[in-house]
Amino acid sequence: MERRPRVLVIDDEPDVVEMMKMALERQFEVLVAYDGKSGVAKARAERPEAIVLDIMMPEKDGFTACKELKEDAATAHIPILILTGVAEYFSRTQFAKSKGMEIEAEDFMAKPVDPNELVRRIAALIRKA
Amino acid sequence: MWEKLKLGGRFRFQTLRAKLVFSFLLVVLAGGSASLVIGTHMVGTTIITEAQKKVRHDMASAWLVYQEKLNRIRDVLDLTSKRDLVLRAAMSRDGEALRMALERVRLDYGLDVLTVTDRSGVVIARARPPYQKGDYQGNDESVRRALQKESVASTEIVPQEMLALEGPELVRQAYMEFVPTPKAKTRPQTRETAGMMLKAAVPILDLHGNVWGVIYGGTLLNRNYEIVDKIKDVVFRGERYGGIETGTATIFQWDLRISTNVRNRSGQRAIGTRIASDVYDHVLENGKSWIDRAFVVENWYIAAYDPIRNLKGEIIGILYVGTLEKPYTDLRHRVIYSFLGIAFIGLVLVLFLSYLIARSITRPVGELVRATEVIASGDFSHEVRISSVDEMGHLAMSFNGMVQTLRATMDQLHQMNQRLRDLNRHYLEMLGFVTHELMQPLGVLKGYLIMLQDQSLGDLSTAQQKQAVSTMLRNVNALINMVQKYLQLGRIEAGRLEVNKVRLGVFSEALQPILEDEKHTLESRRMTVKIENEEAFRRVEIEADPVLLRIVFSNLIGNAIKYGREGGTIWCGFREEPGEFRFYVKNEGRGIPKEQLTKVFEKFSRLTGDLERRRGGTGLGLFNAKEIVERHGGRIWAESQEGEWANFIFTIPKTLKDENPSQAG
Repeated sequence: MERRPRVLVIDDEPDVVEMMKMALERQFEVLVAYDGKSGVAKARAERPEAIVLDIMMPEKDGFTACKELKEDAATAHIPILILTGVAEYFSRTQFAKSKGMEIEAEDFMAKPVDPNELVRRIAALIRKA
Repeated sequence: MWEKLKLGGRFRFQTLRAKLVFSFLLVVLAGGSASLVIGTHMVGTTIITEAQKKVRHDMASAWLVYQEKLNRIRDVLDLTSKRDLVLRAAMSRDGEALRMALERVRLDYGLDVLTVTDRSGVVIARARPPYQKGDYQGNDESVRRALQKESVASTEIVPQEMLALEGPELVRQAYMEFVPTPKAKTRPQTRETAGMMLKAAVPILDLHGNVWGVIYGGTLLNRNYEIVDKIKDVVFRGERYGGIETGTATIFQWDLRISTNVRNRSGQRAIGTRIASDVYDHVLENGKSWIDRAFVVENWYIAAYDPIRNLKGEIIGILYVGTLEKPYTDLRHRVIYSFLGIAFIGLVLVLFLSYLIARSITRPVGELVRATEVIASGDFSHEVRISSVDEMGHLAMSFNGMVQTLRATMDQLHQMNQRLRDLNRHYLEMLGFVTHELMQPLGVLKGYLIMLQDQSLGDLSTAQQKQAVSTMLRNVNALINMVQKYLQLGRIEAGRLEVNKVRLGVFSEALQPILEDEKHTLESRRMTVKIENEEAFRRVEIEADPVLLRIVFSNLIGNAIKYGREGGTIWCGFREEPGEFRFYVKNEGRGIPKEQLTKVFEKFSRLTGDLERRRGGTGLGLFNAKEIVERHGGRIWAESQEGEWANFIFTIPKTLKDENPSQAG
């Protein structure tokens, strides 16, 4: 049997991470990091199949982390799902535009997250990749 | 400073200074011109009066000359009557000797006539060819009086036949045809044949003192200019003014100029002309003197006319003296011009002084105006420096006081405003913080509840468990919704301080992300979204704050999902109107009662009488949408067919006007 795809969840809230991990573990192997800096390091080391990235984090926020990952050739191919803040309603383009960056995440989800929807989206991202 | 603005047909002064100077000028001009008019009039009157006084004086002098001539004739006759030679010749009835003696006297003394009669008045000798004698002269008034031992001298009219007796040349000398004269009295005659003579008569007395006879003689005045020229020389001393003799004199025989030094246009003595009819009436008819201006031949004269009377006291002619008016009018003009000159210099001086005065008055006003302008522009640090102690100084002092008070008030206001801003910011920060912090645990709750509900974490063993989880999830969702709306409110409040307007595609940047987010919910309620005229919608661009616009769509679509019929359709679309775009979100369902169509946009409002629908509603979604739309200069309203559909429509202007009153950030 094939190895389960690995998903890296980067969020600073342990409870949230735990909840998402529980949902994702039904289909994926889940790696976790609790801040942007260690998240980027882990992504480079482990090369997961997908990344769930929170925006609001200490030690390197989601924007910066996303930018670094996408600019690094080693990690640029990994699809990223960004978790946006409540009532931010970012679209893909709006996300790129709002920070004046040339990068794009592959998907966006507003918090609070519906775990089933999250699993569905990650599965879709990995399938596409 | 003389700039004037013409407004509505009236002159208005642009500056206070010009107004002041003009007022000064007006006062000076009014006073000046009044005194000028009165002054020149007085000067004129005085000069004329002086001139008339002088003419009256001249007239008296002229009479002296005239009278002296008469007296001289009488004296000559008197002396002659007493000469031995004449007496002897007369007594001895030696006609030839008497004639020769008389002729010598006549020629020596320049007389025209010299005649001796006997006691009965019959002429016995004439001293002028052709030496006629034997005629009776006793009817002549002078002779008649002399026969009564009286010596007389007077001016007399001598008829032509009498002149003929005295000598034919005298007839020619006296004969004068009238020269047509404007303004002269109309008379039937066209010529004068009689002469006017200065005539004297004295008695010749014998040794006993009895009247033996009469000697009479005289000078014909017609064409004899001796007297008038003498008057001119004695009285006026031959003065000339501008090439014209200032003094003139004339002797009139009745109204006819018989002796004059007034010249006509060709330079000849103007004899034969006649006097003006008004002088005629005044002097000849009424026997009064006349002093007035008179236009004589070519120039104006100040003239005096006196009647000449004969021995019987009858008026027979006029003596005239006139002095040229021009020296007086010139004097008057000189006085007036120097008056004007002084007035003009005074005016200039007044103008200059009033300018200085006006400047000293208006300079502080100007300074105040400048200070006011500075303060009006918001700079309260400026103060007026006026050192005078008059009203201006007081004004400046009060002004400075006012500025200080204003400055203090403004500072206070500024501080209060800053405090309010800080408070507001703190409030917003707290709202954001609380809601955000609330959201985190709610998110965890929601996630686990969903997993519990779909039993991916293991089966729920009882129906009660399932119902409990389901109720918890519903309430958590309601809480999340509420927190979301408060977050929106915080955003809107923050937006009151700052709206980030950008040009954006409404479909791709506002509507589509919402639909993506709500995809799952839509599926779970089996609802479909139809975009009407999607191709055109994708091209619609407006200026708006993207986050705020997304909140509007999110709330409208959220409502459409929440209140729409399960399995129904939601229509989204737009219409282009002049000046604005109209966007709408329409859903099938129960709709909204007519009376509540406006109420739904109020803060914390919910549809009444619908318990089920109250759940999960915060009463903030439509209020938030309304706030946002209005801040973008648009309107929002609801339409509904109760039991069938509800439609929410809002407009956004194509060019956004600033609807944010407190954007001072």
